[in-house]
Amino acid sequence: MERKHLIAWSVVAVAIAALLPLVAGPFWVALLTQMFIFGLLALSVDLLLGHAGLFSLCHAAFFSVAAYTTAILQVRYGVSTALAAPAGIVAGTLLGLVFGLSVRTRGVYFILITIALGYIVWGVAYRWSSFTGGDNGVTNVPRPTIAGFELESMTSYYYFMLAVIVLSLLAYRVLVASPFGLTLRGIKTSETRMTSVGFRPNRHLYAAFVLSAAIASFAGVLYVYYNRFVNPVSASFPISVEAVLMAIVGGSGTIVGPLLGSGIVLALRNWVSSFFELHAAVMGLVFIAVVLWAPNGLVGLLASLRANRRAAR
Amino acid sequence: MTTSAILQAINGTSFAALLFLLASGFTLSFGLMRVVNMAHGAYYLLGGYVGLAIVQVTGSFSAAILAGGAAIALLGFFVDRALIRRTGENHLAQVLLTVGIAFVIGDVALWIWGGDNLKVPVPMFLRGAVELPGGIVYPAFRLMLIGLGLVVALVLWLLYHKTQIGAVVRAGVDDREMVAANGIHVDRLFIVVSALASFLAGTAGVVGGAFLTLYPGAEWEILVFALVVVIVGGLGSLEGAMIGALIVGLLDAYGRWLLPEFSYFVLFGPMAILMLFRPTGLFGKAH
Repeated sequence: MERKHLIAWSVVAVAIAALLPLVAGPFWVALLTQMFIFGLLALSVDLLLGHAGLFSLCHAAFFSVAAYTTAILQVRYGVSTALAAPAGIVAGTLLGLVFGLSVRTRGVYFILITIALGYIVWGVAYRWSSFTGGDNGVTNVPRPTIAGFELESMTSYYYFMLAVIVLSLLAYRVLVASPFGLTLRGIKTSETRMTSVGFRPNRHLYAAFVLSAAIASFAGVLYVYYNRFVNPVSASFPISVEAVLMAIVGGSGTIVGPLLGSGIVLALRNWVSSFFELHAAVMGLVFIAVVLWAPNGLVGLLASLRANRRAAR
Repeated sequence: MTTSAILQAINGTSFAALLFLLASGFTLSFGLMRVVNMAHGAYYLLGGYVGLAIVQVTGSFSAAILAGGAAIALLGFFVDRALIRRTGENHLAQVLLTVGIAFVIGDVALWIWGGDNLKVPVPMFLRGAVELPGGIVYPAFRLMLIGLGLVVALVLWLLYHKTQIGAVVRAGVDDREMVAANGIHVDRLFIVVSALASFLAGTAGVVGGAFLTLYPGAEWEILVFALVVVIVGGLGSLEGAMIGALIVGLLDAYGRWLLPEFSYFVLFGPMAILMLFRPTGLFGKAH
């Protein structure tokens, strides 16, 4: 897409999103807020998947550690948002520094190891009940006050999230277009070639992993203030896989893809579960269908349609 | 103290036997077919439920073990042919696809059998406890499980190392194209190995269902243990799966006993350290 078209479309999309709460009911506002939060999580997964070629299945770990840290600090120790929220991001990122050592492995080993690492966090959240609250988790997290604005209502949180997501996408665009982003894609395409021209792939991948963990942690903090409680489900394996699914459904390696994917997956699940009991099975079928028929996701599908149309002309 | 330590050792070994049943199939299908099948845990759970249904109808535990294994072997065959085969050697696609399959199986099982913990009834003669030398009393069923694990391990080892099929499979693990070039029908071999792997997973479900019970979510819990076994032992290695199962089973038993809240750390901590120094596991090769 040409640059001026892209800017025009983005402005239109943001304008529609900004006007939406005036016409749509609270259900839609809540759904879109969730889409922004999980879109950010999917974006963090896609920094590794779409740009560095690493398929991580442990991002629920960073997401939930950040959420738990913020929730516990705020609820149990009465720490203010101004401290609790950054502390959550720091905690998730520190975990990323440790789990990031898994970039020493590649391919299947990386996938399997991240699954196992993700389970440690779930296990601790679930079993260390004296600290994490076990199955019930941490409840009654207050909505935050940012620079004097109370984000008490769902609509105010929605606008806050909209601003966050717009800024995040802009920053992400700068990041993936930077020399660092190029290096990552170079490693994804040919690691041996990057090594022979003097790069050290593992260092770049480690940095990408930690950065990705930081973004996932950011999403986790935003999630806990939206949801107002956190329990072991947020650390569970299905959350990690769903984040990957979102990135792929929308279009891996693109900027808006993960966000769109998050919207599609959440909307589909909400819609299916309103009339059909087996909604997890339907999600499973979506996984299968995407792998078999739309491995490049929605953005890829649209791009190939456009290419076909142009070829026909 | 020493009695409990010994009890935990037997607990760990019996869990190891169960894990071996699951991990051996996983590791062999990776070794030969380069297939990462995340639905293995769901196969386990479904096998257990099928076994439960068979026990309820026939009252026979051995029939349940065979039927659970056979049903899953059949299912595994079709899933393999119709779906997994289409992903080629793209592990990312395989993982997503098989996670999707596991979601479908898990949800349908939840719909049929409900969300309660169900226990596969153990036959009468295995219900009691056995007194071991040293005055330790231990449930007979879990001792039988250790025996079963040993027998399966022995049979697989003999099959793998002492028969012609095993030689072909080993050759296939090393270089599949070469085996095919020598006129061996590799595809037929794949069917046999994948059916065997699914059969073992189904059997494990019936046996596991008798002492760990069956419930929604069990498929992922057991899968993660099997994955750790495979990571520790090395993907594609049968010996690795044996040793890995034993390490994981024992660490888990002692972890639960000594540090119940952090038992996952006890299990995954050493795995993470091992991974740093030997990313391919104890017996694995780089793939």
